[in-house]
Amino acid sequence: MGMKETINQLRELMAQELEKTEDKQSLEALRVRVLGKKGELTALLRGMGQLSPEERPAAGQMINEAREKFTAMLEARQDAIRMMERAAALKRETLDVTEPVPAVPHGSAHPVNLVMNEMVACFTGMGFEVVEGPEVELDHYNFELMNIPKNHPARDAQDTFYVDDNIVLRTHTSPMQARTMLTRKPPIRVICPGRVYRADEVDATHSPVFHQMEGLVVDKDVTMADLRGTLNAFAERIYGKGITTRFRPSFFPFTEPSTEVDLTCAACHGKGCRVCKGTGWIEVLGGGMVNPKVLEMCGIDSSVYSGFAFGIGLERIAMQRYGIPDMRLLYEGDVRFLGQFR
Amino acid sequence: MKIPMKWLREYTEIPADADTYMNKMIMIGDGVEGYETLGAEVEGVVVGKVLTCEPHPNSDHLHVCTVDVGEEEPLHIVCGAPNVAAGQLVPVAKNGARLPGGVKIKKGKLRGEVSEGMICSGEELGCPPELYPNIWSEGILVFQEDHPLGADVKPILGLDDTVMDFEVLANRPDCLSVWGVARESAVAMGTTFQKPEITVTENGKGEIHDYVSVSVQDPDLCPRYVARVIDNVRVGPSPKWLREYLFGAGMRSINNVVDITNFVMLETGHPMHAFDLDKVEGRQIIVRRAKEGEFITTLDGKAHTMQAGQLAICDAVKPSCVAGIMGGEESEITESTRQVMFECAVFDYASTRLTSRALGIRTESSGRFEKGVNIRTPLEAIQRACQLIHELDAGDVVPGIIDLYPNPVAPQVVTGSCRKIAQRAGVGIPAEDIVRILESLSFGVQREGDQLTVTVPDFRQDITVGEADLCEEALRVYGYDKIPSTLLRGETTPGGRSAEMALKDEVTSILTGLGFNEIMNFSFVSPKSVEKLDLPEGDPRREMLAIRNPLGEDTSVMRTTLVPDMLSTLALNMNHANESACLFEAAKVFDPARRTGEGLPTETRKLCLGVYGKQASFFSLRAVVEALLRQLGVETTVRKASASYLHPGRTAELVHGDEAVCLIGEVHPQTMDRFDLSARAILAELDLDQLLRLRQPMGTVKPMPRYPAVTRDLSLVMDEAVEIGPMLRALAASCGSVLEDARLFDIYRNPILGLNKKSVAFSFVFRAPDHTLTDAEITAAMDKLLKTAEEKFGAVIRG
Repeated sequence: MGMKETINQLRELMAQELEKTEDKQSLEALRVRVLGKKGELTALLRGMGQLSPEERPAAGQMINEAREKFTAMLEARQDAIRMMERAAALKRETLDVTEPVPAVPHGSAHPVNLVMNEMVACFTGMGFEVVEGPEVELDHYNFELMNIPKNHPARDAQDTFYVDDNIVLRTHTSPMQARTMLTRKPPIRVICPGRVYRADEVDATHSPVFHQMEGLVVDKDVTMADLRGTLNAFAERIYGKGITTRFRPSFFPFTEPSTEVDLTCAACHGKGCRVCKGTGWIEVLGGGMVNPKVLEMCGIDSSVYSGFAFGIGLERIAMQRYGIPDMRLLYEGDVRFLGQFR
Repeated sequence: MKIPMKWLREYTEIPADADTYMNKMIMIGDGVEGYETLGAEVEGVVVGKVLTCEPHPNSDHLHVCTVDVGEEEPLHIVCGAPNVAAGQLVPVAKNGARLPGGVKIKKGKLRGEVSEGMICSGEELGCPPELYPNIWSEGILVFQEDHPLGADVKPILGLDDTVMDFEVLANRPDCLSVWGVARESAVAMGTTFQKPEITVTENGKGEIHDYVSVSVQDPDLCPRYVARVIDNVRVGPSPKWLREYLFGAGMRSINNVVDITNFVMLETGHPMHAFDLDKVEGRQIIVRRAKEGEFITTLDGKAHTMQAGQLAICDAVKPSCVAGIMGGEESEITESTRQVMFECAVFDYASTRLTSRALGIRTESSGRFEKGVNIRTPLEAIQRACQLIHELDAGDVVPGIIDLYPNPVAPQVVTGSCRKIAQRAGVGIPAEDIVRILESLSFGVQREGDQLTVTVPDFRQDITVGEADLCEEALRVYGYDKIPSTLLRGETTPGGRSAEMALKDEVTSILTGLGFNEIMNFSFVSPKSVEKLDLPEGDPRREMLAIRNPLGEDTSVMRTTLVPDMLSTLALNMNHANESACLFEAAKVFDPARRTGEGLPTETRKLCLGVYGKQASFFSLRAVVEALLRQLGVETTVRKASASYLHPGRTAELVHGDEAVCLIGEVHPQTMDRFDLSARAILAELDLDQLLRLRQPMGTVKPMPRYPAVTRDLSLVMDEAVEIGPMLRALAASCGSVLEDARLFDIYRNPILGLNKKSVAFSFVFRAPDHTLTDAEITAAMDKLLKTAEEKFGAVIRG
């Protein structure tokens, strides 16, 4: 049998055996059997000594070609086996991806602070700076500088918590407006968020402790229209497009003119619904042009400067937004309630 | 303030339905809470005459009546009222009529007798007893006057009006009156206000000084006192129109004389009082401050001891009336009253308010004086009362008026620029419109170019600051809805959060990311809540700022620590069977012992964390706090600590340099009992103001390591009492800069280690920034480390 036939036989054997290999071990065994030191092809190479020098180059070439060929066949089979093994592994590793997983605990800021943060972001974006101050406050800042003189009905003992004749728990964050005006020069653009106190018994809609955010702008030529523009921007930002303000005349000792501000009911977009009692409007805040008396008492020349101020109750907004039926839930700290916020 | 529309319409035209009118009033600044349509539910009830009334053949209490309701045939009606009788004029609900409560009347049969309607009682018609005397007493309502048969009963019963409930703003006490509201209505509706013409017929004998003398000893508290006398008083019931008006306004009818004073108060805003002159000792009225301990029994039958300084209207010997608040029982008007002195005065608002609070009496009168009664108009009010006395034939007005008004107040004049008014409003209100509006509001306006000189009408006391006030007046009538929307102009400001708020936000986002929920508690607590912590004598947290007028003991002091509230909140969650809770609160505490330069208590922002549940442990909470502090760049070490309300073996503090920044511990079982905690809970307390001071910005990054690290693990056996924290720190320090990281990875306890021993396994990572460490270098470091372990902590390699 000539060299060529032997090699062909060997190739056929390889092809047959390769088909049977299913793992790395049997593949390696086959490689050793054919290409190993004592393998059949290696034996052929060794047998070349018996050939004549004329035959040797052709035979050597044939054997080398065969070796390359066989090596390629082995590698191809090896790749195929690897693919099969991987496929089998992937199958083995299949998970029930619908299996419930343990929850990673998530927490949340308090709903009142969620609302506050959103508002602070809105106003700081408009160039307002946050100022904070004492909650136990001098009567002077809380009332007198806000044009609420002694014995004004607004400071009735039923509304205000007193520490002594001169010290109160602040009834609004307005004293920070006074403190700001006394220490800064216009232009002033500040917001004063914080905790305030009124002597109201606790019920579904009242709490002796609640939160407010007031805003103050003092500059040359500030107008009611600027107040409206600022609050319209706020309304859109917080409640979404199409939400606007309605101004109604009102009275606050520290502003003149004063206004109550209603916002388009976000639940019905002004069509009238249960939330807004059919009016299409929700009463949300109060404001107005800073009373010149207040400016003067705080050391600002009211003939040069004017300003506007507004105040928003945060609990009320949180209750409206999240549909909270009872204010007490906000101060109870039950995780079944708090855990719903995000 | 409640006002029947009929009353308003006497003085101004209101050509609109209730809703339109309400909205117009709201939009010019006269708040309306709502309105009530009297008799809205009553329909088809007419006057009928009972022609015959026979007992029902099949009943011992029903009657069968024939009733003429002005139709061709009388109606057959079965009636159960005991007082029904032939000849009576009664309200008849005909077939198809509606009554309050959704009742519909239908023709039917009652025990075999046809009934074509119902004879009604006052109650069934929803008719208040104030309007029709005695209607509630016995069965059906029987009209006491003649009325045409078949006429609608609603106007007869005063059930045909709408009552508006106005929400009068604090600066508009003039609108606590029918005239005030009617004036505003005229402006809102574009109509005119017409006050009644007041003429007084003086048909009494003599002159006022023959009857009474009046002196005001304290004009500072009573700047004006007006009095008139009525002789031959004929006390009796008020006519129906007067009863209706008072009822609509929410007041009870008493008798004609008292009703007139109330009517005048409601109409003009001036509280009045009527004295029975025969009961006024010495026929002397002296307005003076009470002496300490003077005694008065007020109209409501309550006895009061007055304090020195409270203003009283006295007779020659004693207080007869608490000025501006309530009259005395003794000089009350009764059926036997012969002579009356009317008082219409002005009392100081602050004094009235203080006295009203002190005596605990609030009346329509005191409320008005507190808000401010107009000093220039009481004369008009008392004249109106005298006019009504004559019209109602309730007495003879004695000639002469006493009017003690030593310091007349001149009309207020303010000035302003039209341009500035419009500028403030942000709306280009034309000057002509400003003038027109102010005039419609009864202001006297003189205009010279841009400049206005404005005389404020008598009844307005709130216009004091010129342009700003005039702007509001002009703008509210011109229309708040015309205010455009403009954005802020001028020099920009950077804006932004305060450092305090930014820190709080950062802490919130870290803690919420770690699964914590934020809670909020009131700032005031019960003093007992702090007592329950067993704080030692002299602990500053035991001294709390007290509120002078708290809602109750539970909310009477400002908190000095967030711990009691946190414990209560944890207890509430346990009570509600919530499996676990991870909570935090960031809020201020108040220290009254340390005062600011202004004399205010020091306020400090605190942070308190509280956890319970399966996953919660001392260590898990410490891990959270350490993560928080690490995020803020505050490096800390931990050491044992103690607190009265924390477990003595499970309490630590985290220390930065020499400063403790966090106290953390498991709640003491005794404290658990006091706060009703049913499960173990762990607390941590931090000070946000301190963190703000200590926090460090991140700085720059370290270069990436270029040479490999070598890790060596080490198990050491030591006494149980050895604290691992300090030990690991000492070990790390001992091997110098080649140590990159050192951490605990296991603690093993087993008797085979020896009595009270533990084996602690650490992992040390070595690396040099500039070369690959040699075995010799690592061995040298490990040797130092082992030496420290043995010498300082008696720890040896586990064999």
